[in-house]
Amino acid sequence: MILKELQLLTPELSLLVFALLVIMLDLFIKQKKVLVVVSIAGILVSAGFTLSLWGIHATDILYAMLSVDQYALLFKLIFLVAAGLVILASQDYISKFAQFQSEYYALVLISALGMMLMAAAQDLIAVYVSLELSSISLYVLASFLKDQKSTEAGLKYLLLGAVSSAVLLYGMALVFGLTGHTCMPCIADSLKGMPISNIMQSPALLMGLILIVAGFGFKIASVPFQMWVPDVYEGAPTPVTAYLSVASKAAGFAVILRVLFVVFGATAWLSQDWGLLIAVLSAITMMVGNVVALSQSNIKRMFGYSSIAQAGYLMVGLAAVGMAAGSDALGRSGLLFFLMSYTFTNLGAFIAIIAISNKLNSDQIEDYTGMSKRAPLLAIALTLCLVSLTGLPPTAGLIAKIYIFNGAVNHGLLWLVIIAVINSVISAFYYFRIVKVMWMGAPASEEKVPSTWALRVALSLCCLFVLLLGVLPAGFMGIAQAAVKIFTGS
Amino acid sequence: MPSDIFACFFFFRHGILSPQHFEPGAFTVLADYGYVGILLVAAILFTILLLLIPLTLSLLGVVPRKSNPVKTSTYECGLETIGKTWVQFNFRYYLFAILFVALDVLTIFLYPWAVNLRGLGLFGFIAMVAFFIILLVGYVYAWRKGALEWK
Amino acid sequence: MPYQIPWLIFLLPVCSLLIIAFILRPFFNNRPKLGGYVTIAAISTACALSLWVLATVIAAPGHKLDIPDFQWLVIGNLNVHFGLLIDSLTAVMLVVVTIVSLMVQIYSQGYMDGDSGYHRYFAFMSLFTACMLGLIMADNLVLMFLFWEGVGLGSYLLIGFWFHRPSAANAAKKAFIVTRLGDVGFLVAILLLFAQTGTFDTEELHALAIAGTLGGTVLTWVAIGIFSGAAGKSAQFPLHVWLPDAMEGPTPVSALIHAATMVAAGVFLVARFHPLFEHSEVALTTVAIIGGFTAIFAASMGLVMTDIKRVLAYSTISQLGYMMLGLGTGGVAIGIFHLFNHAFFKALLFLGAGSVNHGTGTFDMRQMGGLRKAMPWTYATFLIGSLSLAGIWPLSGFWSKDEIVASALDKPILFYIAMLTVFMTAFYMFRAIFLTFEGEYKGGAPAEHGSHGPNNSYGPHESSKVMVIPLVILSVLSVFSGWLNVTGAFSSFMGHGGEVEAHGFIQGFFGVLSHPVPLISLAVAALGVFLAYAMYSARWISAEVMGRIFKPMYVLFSRKYWMDELYENVIVKKVLINGVFAVLGLFDEKAIDGAINGVANGTVAAGRELRRLQTGQLQFYAMFIVLGLVAITVCYYIFA
Repeated sequence: MILKELQLLTPELSLLVFALLVIMLDLFIKQKKVLVVVSIAGILVSAGFTLSLWGIHATDILYAMLSVDQYALLFKLIFLVAAGLVILASQDYISKFAQFQSEYYALVLISALGMMLMAAAQDLIAVYVSLELSSISLYVLASFLKDQKSTEAGLKYLLLGAVSSAVLLYGMALVFGLTGHTCMPCIADSLKGMPISNIMQSPALLMGLILIVAGFGFKIASVPFQMWVPDVYEGAPTPVTAYLSVASKAAGFAVILRVLFVVFGATAWLSQDWGLLIAVLSAITMMVGNVVALSQSNIKRMFGYSSIAQAGYLMVGLAAVGMAAGSDALGRSGLLFFLMSYTFTNLGAFIAIIAISNKLNSDQIEDYTGMSKRAPLLAIALTLCLVSLTGLPPTAGLIAKIYIFNGAVNHGLLWLVIIAVINSVISAFYYFRIVKVMWMGAPASEEKVPSTWALRVALSLCCLFVLLLGVLPAGFMGIAQAAVKIFTGS
Repeated sequence: MPSDIFACFFFFRHGILSPQHFEPGAFTVLADYGYVGILLVAAILFTILLLLIPLTLSLLGVVPRKSNPVKTSTYECGLETIGKTWVQFNFRYYLFAILFVALDVLTIFLYPWAVNLRGLGLFGFIAMVAFFIILLVGYVYAWRKGALEWK
Repeated sequence: MPYQIPWLIFLLPVCSLLIIAFILRPFFNNRPKLGGYVTIAAISTACALSLWVLATVIAAPGHKLDIPDFQWLVIGNLNVHFGLLIDSLTAVMLVVVTIVSLMVQIYSQGYMDGDSGYHRYFAFMSLFTACMLGLIMADNLVLMFLFWEGVGLGSYLLIGFWFHRPSAANAAKKAFIVTRLGDVGFLVAILLLFAQTGTFDTEELHALAIAGTLGGTVLTWVAIGIFSGAAGKSAQFPLHVWLPDAMEGPTPVSALIHAATMVAAGVFLVARFHPLFEHSEVALTTVAIIGGFTAIFAASMGLVMTDIKRVLAYSTISQLGYMMLGLGTGGVAIGIFHLFNHAFFKALLFLGAGSVNHGTGTFDMRQMGGLRKAMPWTYATFLIGSLSLAGIWPLSGFWSKDEIVASALDKPILFYIAMLTVFMTAFYMFRAIFLTFEGEYKGGAPAEHGSHGPNNSYGPHESSKVMVIPLVILSVLSVFSGWLNVTGAFSSFMGHGGEVEAHGFIQGFFGVLSHPVPLISLAVAALGVFLAYAMYSARWISAEVMGRIFKPMYVLFSRKYWMDELYENVIVKKVLINGVFAVLGLFDEKAIDGAINGVANGTVAAGRELRRLQTGQLQFYAMFIVLGLVAITVCYYIFA
């Protein structure tokens, strides 16, 4: 039994071992390049173990704290891919904190570990502990540059993160108090047994739901819990911003989907209740994200708002899951597909930004003028990713939006989809402003923008997948559908 | 006063939770919060009561009012503080403090584990070994980085 | 046959395009020949596979292959899939396209030798071939439209291949814009069809049209919309103006795209949707009339052109009109049979013209003459092509032209037009032959004209083997391809089994001469040849005198009925720029821009206001979280 459980934990354990190895190696060797290799090796090994578990029958381990199932495994892969790409892309950036390389890599790995546990967590306690593990690493990473802005970002993230953690805990405590359980399926069973047919009959349940949504809402940057996003994104080192915008958000969605679906999906009325709540928040989130992004001049800040808007689109899928009340898996698999697409797209955009802003030492959009002449390949890649973020063919973004919107329309959320489509149009304005600036303007200088091989590899991988998901989505959809199968039984 | 406590009890048991809808036992945990709430209300009321007693006595003129400099000074006995109270400590103290807290708190884990060692079995043993390896890595890290030297 | 084979046929040129664009062009730019070899390897394989497909289709019951659909997107009840429709029409088109493309690619090795854009040329050629193959195999309208525009793009890129010449750049633009006009109709037809039936699938549409579910006025408009797309691509009146200008592209391009395949795509499209046309008398008549009129209209202009490629261009337009006429009066088999034969002999003629240009450095027939001795192979093959085009028994052109003329019998006006066109065709082709190959050599052109060919300071000469061999192969096909339908085999393969009486090959081969219609058309053609001989070789009749006698007509023809001027000055400048565009521009500026700007400014202003919430103060952020929580709770209590 022990060996079996350890075997199911190999992805996490191997990642932990490699993270510790990175820290230890740094203390005893001079050649710091080795650290990158070890980190990447760790991610590959962990990904290998994750893949070897693919297809497994869902199994509870560690006294039902964690569940090893396809849903968790897919998310683990997403986090590993994101962490790997971020580490590769950091090679251009690492000189800014060369003294603390090993800490940087180790923290990225450990936060990835935390996220992997989050995706697998099946107990509210485990959710909370793994959430803190990933968050605390990210707080440190956000302030890694140690300059004024970065420190401010780190501190703001830490304090607001603490507030949201507290909110989340209140919510969990109420739910625990109401049902006497912390394990998700047990809570669901207990809720099913309660003779109530409306959430207003149980204020404790209502407050628990709202507080839990608020706690995760902070993680996924949903309005009104999004205030930290622009400040932290702007101040944090760019690779960390990329990591935050992709992996951390994906982790938030991994766990909110599981909690809402398994716990609060216990009965149909409850499911539709939070579905509506998420739908309303989603509409506000999209509007705020897109509208405020229009008037940004700093590209990282703009991407902060853009990621809020993208969270809004993702929440359309989440709302569809709620409204479906377990009747079909369209919303769930759509959410996963959108996350895959978003991971590659947003990372690709950020990787290009890392290379460009590293040379320019500026994040102002106007400084990107004429970038197509100074760095044609970077400009093409960034354009592709922006097209995908807007949701135009032939990229992943389009298919992802079709997928997620389709699910929403099927469950009576046509109004939300209309808002989302209007928002997509608005988003085209600010995404294409960058494209326009890059391709139409005359460059301020003729100097080429250099980039390392590692960054180029990471960027090409992102672009490849953005196109692949856009042109041949069937295979990836199959994966997403397989991943959400574990829920259909419950 | 007892009626207040009962009202409070009622608020928790009937007002929010409406126990008549629930099967018995389903809400026992949240009901425990009810007792915490009772204690909380009792504590607040007790504090207010203690504040009210001297105020009432003073208003009634039972308490004599005779003020002198010694009576109103900060310290009736002891030494006056010299210099500013906002002293900057050497930051190395913080480093040591953090290291101490981290290692100390983690070491506390040993006790419950040791007590339950038999019950936890091999799995518990492996988990603890892993835990200590991680702790060791942190220790070695601090050591090699020079955090243990006063320089 | 594995069902992947048709996909492979399409993917091979795609691969060659990718290889040239991403491997050869960046890394082997100093070895241009490789690009040609890759393309030829891909297309010859595709050609062999196409023959295999054809053989399989012939053997298959109902002459149709069942290819599993490719499921592209399955989301809930949204199922986007596409597949290939492989029936007799597709199989024939596959063979035509791949054979002609192969011949043209081989020929291009010689023709484009030394050109600086060698890789680019073959990359574009691969792109075009891929799109063309995709177009003929696509099983739904969306995919078809995509490839339809793809071949248009290929054509645009290749007409403007020598983009540094303003005339080439302008011709490319003209071709693109004029065909786009037709495509508007096509697109409207597609949308109308989808609105009416909810499907894009070709076969489902056929079934609906046959069952009568889709009918009446809608069907007529749909058919006319499809035909307008076809007319743009196939250069039918009044959208024919781009094709003569398209001769600015390299000659092999003209042979492949503007003679054999892309321009025939319009004919193919009408044939593909023939069941829709069949159920609309109006649409079918429109096709026949436009086709017949284009046939004679273009032929008349071909009579007076002095540029050999332009003669061939007008001849192509005229022959495409013929095919449309065949589709309109006879049916799929008749139109496509002419397309089939025409592809070979017209490609041959264009390649021959290219060979002549290679030898003399000019396309102007007035500067040629007497090339028969210098270029015997070119002459022989060109003569075969011309005889075939003129419809002389027993070459291929005779057989298909005869069927079209015969099918037009019950519409007397169209029949006479067809006969007159036969005469004109014979005349202008032999005028070209006599001017080019007979008489004295008139010196060719100064070297700078033939910027791409080798220096021809040593006088006219035969082209290299790599150019002559495709000519020979195509001339063999031009002789024999028509014999396929002597027994009615081709027609029955195309699904016209009931109409054609089966008879033996020998009987059909010679027996055709006992019918009056073929005899009359032969006689008319012979008359055309004779008149050309009399005017341009024996010079019994002076061409100048004839020109003076028919001066108004001569001017009319040689100025192309002032169609270019009509488009340029009247329609584009007066009606469009000063009229429609001006009004639209005003509307755009005032109404649309006003509304859009209003909304956009409002949104941006809202953004600025919302941005103020982002004070940067931590306390406020934390407050906001709490306020948000309170707001949500309050909302619950209000609305729930």
